Amino acid sequence: MSALTLRAVSKRYGTVVACDGVDLDIDPGEIHGLLGENGAGKSTLMRILFGLETRDAGTVLRDGEPVRIAGPQDAAALGLGMVHQHFSLIDPLPVWENVILGDTGRIRRAAAQAEIHAVAQRYGLPIDPLAIVGTLSAGERQRVELIKCLRRDPGVLILDEPTSVLTRAESAELFAVLRRMVRSERRAVVLISHKLAEIAAATDRVTVLRRGRVVFRSATRDTDVAELARQMVGRDVSLGAEAAALGLLPATPEAESEVDQTPAMRLRGLVVRPFLNGVDLDVRPGEITGLYGAEGNGQTVLGDVLSGLIVPDAGIVELSGVPVALKRPGALHRAGLGIVPEDRHRAGVVLDLSVAANLVMKDPVLNRRRLRRTAQGLAEEFGIVAASLDAPLRTLSGGNQQRVVLARELSAHPKVLVVAQPSHGLDVGAAEDLYSRLRSCARDGVAVLLISTEIEEVLGLTDRIAVIASGRIAGEMRTADATAERLGLLVGGVAR
Amino acid sequence: MIRTVAALVVALALSSLLITVTGGSPPAALQALVRGSLGDATALSLTLLYAAPLLLIAVGACVSARAGVFNIGQEGQVLVGALAGAAVGLRLAVPGPALVVVILLASAFAAGLWAWLSSLMHRLRGVDIVVSTLLMTFLAQQVVAFAVNTPWLLQESRLGRATVLPQTNKLPADALLGSIGHYPGLRVNAGLLTGAVLAILVAVVLARTRWGFRITLLGLNPRAAQHSGVRVGALGGVALAISGALAGLAGAVVLASPLSTNRLQPGTSLGIGWDGLLVALVARNRPLLAIPVAGLFAVLRSGGSFLAATGVPSYLVDVVKALLVLAFVAPPALKRWSSA
Repeated sequence: MSALTLRAVSKRYGTVVACDGVDLDIDPGEIHGLLGENGAGKSTLMRILFGLETRDAGTVLRDGEPVRIAGPQDAAALGLGMVHQHFSLIDPLPVWENVILGDTGRIRRAAAQAEIHAVAQRYGLPIDPLAIVGTLSAGERQRVELIKCLRRDPGVLILDEPTSVLTRAESAELFAVLRRMVRSERRAVVLISHKLAEIAAATDRVTVLRRGRVVFRSATRDTDVAELARQMVGRDVSLGAEAAALGLLPATPEAESEVDQTPAMRLRGLVVRPFLNGVDLDVRPGEITGLYGAEGNGQTVLGDVLSGLIVPDAGIVELSGVPVALKRPGALHRAGLGIVPEDRHRAGVVLDLSVAANLVMKDPVLNRRRLRRTAQGLAEEFGIVAASLDAPLRTLSGGNQQRVVLARELSAHPKVLVVAQPSHGLDVGAAEDLYSRLRSCARDGVAVLLISTEIEEVLGLTDRIAVIASGRIAGEMRTADATAERLGLLVGGVAR
Repeated sequence: MIRTVAALVVALALSSLLITVTGGSPPAALQALVRGSLGDATALSLTLLYAAPLLLIAVGACVSARAGVFNIGQEGQVLVGALAGAAVGLRLAVPGPALVVVILLASAFAAGLWAWLSSLMHRLRGVDIVVSTLLMTFLAQQVVAFAVNTPWLLQESRLGRATVLPQTNKLPADALLGSIGHYPGLRVNAGLLTGAVLAILVAVVLARTRWGFRITLLGLNPRAAQHSGVRVGALGGVALAISGALAGLAGAVVLASPLSTNRLQPGTSLGIGWDGLLVALVARNRPLLAIPVAGLFAVLRSGGSFLAATGVPSYLVDVVKALLVLAFVAPPALKRWSSA
C-alpha cells in the first residue's frame, strides 16, 4: 500500500490551472522524484499536502485512508514532514531553539539537545546544538532543517528544491542521508527538483509534471536524463544553455575570443572584512568570466560592492582603466557598470513601483509620454510579459522581473555587466533566454562577469573561470581547461 | 474601498454607541459638532484657522513617511518652531510686514534642524528615529517651558507690580498673520493659504520630479535606492528635516494667527502636532488628500469644544478621532495581513 496517494487533485488560481487532476503514489521505502519546470505545479501540490493551500478537487489518502489537511498541524499529525525551499530558520537563535520551535509545553533544554544529538547520530547529520544558526553554512542549515523535520518521525518526508543553495559535495551528502533513511527505516521521500542530474542520480521513481499535469512516470532506472528533459520541457533539448540550465554537463563552451585584451573591469585588492580578503580579478571585453565558488565565500559581498551597497575597506575597482570613486552613490553605474544583483527583490527592483518605473529607476524619466515609450521599447526588446507596464512589478513572474532588471541595466549600454546567481528561482525557459542574452552581450563586446554557485552554469556559459574561496581568488583558468573535479578542488581550497 | 466604507460605518456606529452610553444623543451631538464648526461665519473661521497648521504638519509627515522615515515628533517640532518664531518676532528689529516672513522662515529652519538631529543620531549611533523624534518632543516642551519662565530669556516683561505669567510678550502687530480677502464675518487666515500652496507644491514635487522619485524609491526599498545611486542617509535626513520644517511652520502659524493669544506659552502647540500626524495617517501620506482630511479634523477640533454644551464630554471627540483613524488605517493593514 502506498504511504501517500493523491487522486485527481486540482487547484486553480483564477484562470490559471496550477494542478490539473494529478494522480500520485508515494510508496514507503522509496525516494520519489517530482520533476518539473518552475510553474509546473510542483510547489502548489506540496503546499496542498502541507495544508497551506486547499485543493479544489480530488482526494488525498494516507496509508489508504482519505484524510483532510487543513493546516501544517494536520500534516504533521499525519506524519508528513516538509523541508522548505527557503530555509525557515531564525538566524540569531541557536540550533536547538530553532529545532524545537513550534513545540508546545515546557522547554527542556537538555532533553532537546540530547534529542538533536540522537537524531544527528542516527542519520549522520553532525551539528552543534548550541551553534547560532546565523553563523552556519548553507549545508549546515539544511541539516538543521532536516533534523527539525526528522525528530517528529515523519512517515513521508517532502524536500522542496533542497539543493538550490548547496554545493555538489553537500548535495551528495544530503542524498546519502536520504538513501540511508529510506533503506533502513522504510520512510517515503518526495524530492522536488528541476535539476535532472539530481533526480536521475538520487531517486527510485520519478514523476514529471508539466503545466499542472502528470506527463510522465517511470522507474528511474528505466529512463534517462534526455528522456526526462524532453518530458519536462515538452520538446527536445539540445542547446548548451538549456543543458546547463537543466543541470547536465555541457559539451563544449562557445568559441573563444583569442586576443588577451585589456580588462574592462579590474578589481585589485578588494577587502571587506571579514568576507573579502584581497580579491584581484580581471574581466575582459567580449568574454564571459565566471566567478564560481560555494555559497558563503564572499561572492555575495562582492556583488554588494559592485552594486554600490558596500564600500570596501580597501582596494580599487577600475573600469576601463579609471578607478571608480566607490563612496559616491551611483558612481559605478555612471562609470559603465551594469549589474543584475543576486537578490533582485532586495536591491534590484522596487516591487511596489510600476514596471515602467523600475525600467528607468537609475535614470528616472519624468515625462510620462517618454517614460511610456522607453518602457514599451525595452519590454518588446527583452520580451517582458506584463499585463500592463503601469502594473506594480510584484505582479510579474520571477523570470520577467529579472528581464526588467537586465533590460534596465543593458539600456544604459554598460561596458561591464555583472550578473549574480542569475538562474536562482528561474525556470528552464527563462534561464535559457537569459543565457543567450548574456552570450549576445559578450559578442557585442561587453565584459560579462557571471557570479554563480552552479557549476554547470559556469562551465556551460563562460570563457574563463575564477574560483573564489574564503574571500580570495583561489585560481583562474580558461573554461576549456576546466573540469568539475579541478574546480571542486579549488572550491574546497585543496589545489591552487 | 468597500472595506474602508465598512470600517467607517463601524467607527461611526461605535461613536454613536459611546455617546449614547455616556448619556448623550448622537443626533444632538452631531448637530452640535456641525454647529460649532460650520454653523456660522465665526465657527467656520475658527475651523479654517485650525485647518492651516493641521495641513502643514500633515504635508510634512507625508514627505518623511513617503521616504520611509517615521517622524512622530511633530508636537515638539511645532513648539520649537513657535519658540524660534517668538524669539525672532520679539528680539529682531525687522521693519514692517517683512517681520512675519522672517518669523515663518526662522521657525521652519529651527524645527527642521531640530528634526534633522534625530536623523543625525540615527546615522551616527543607530538611534531609532521613531523613538528619538518622540522623545525630542518632551525635550522641546522643557526648552519652551524654560524659555518662558526665565526673565532674561523670553518671559514677559514685568509691568509695575503685576504678576508675570509663564509666557512671552505679545508679538508686535507686524508679526501677525492677517486675513486675506474681505468676506462678511468670515476670516480666512494667510496661514491656510500657505498650507494649501505647500500641499500642492509637495504633491507635485513628489509625483513629478527626480527628487520626488528618489524619495519614493527610498521609502519603498532603501537598498534598491542605494543601488540606484541615492544617498540614502542624507536623503532620509532631508525628508525628516522637511517634515520638521513644515511642523515648525505650523507652530509659527499658530503663534501668529488668532488661534493663540500671540504669546508663546507652554501650551501654545494645542496638541496639534499629534492631530496633524493623524491627518497624514488617514490621508495615507498623500498631500492632496490631506487637504480635505485636515478640514475634517479641524471640524472635530472646533466643533468639539461646542459639543460639551450638549452634555457630551468633550474628550469623546478624541475617541471619535481615534476611531476615524482606525477606520481609515485598518483596512489596508487587514488586506495586507489576509493576503500574506
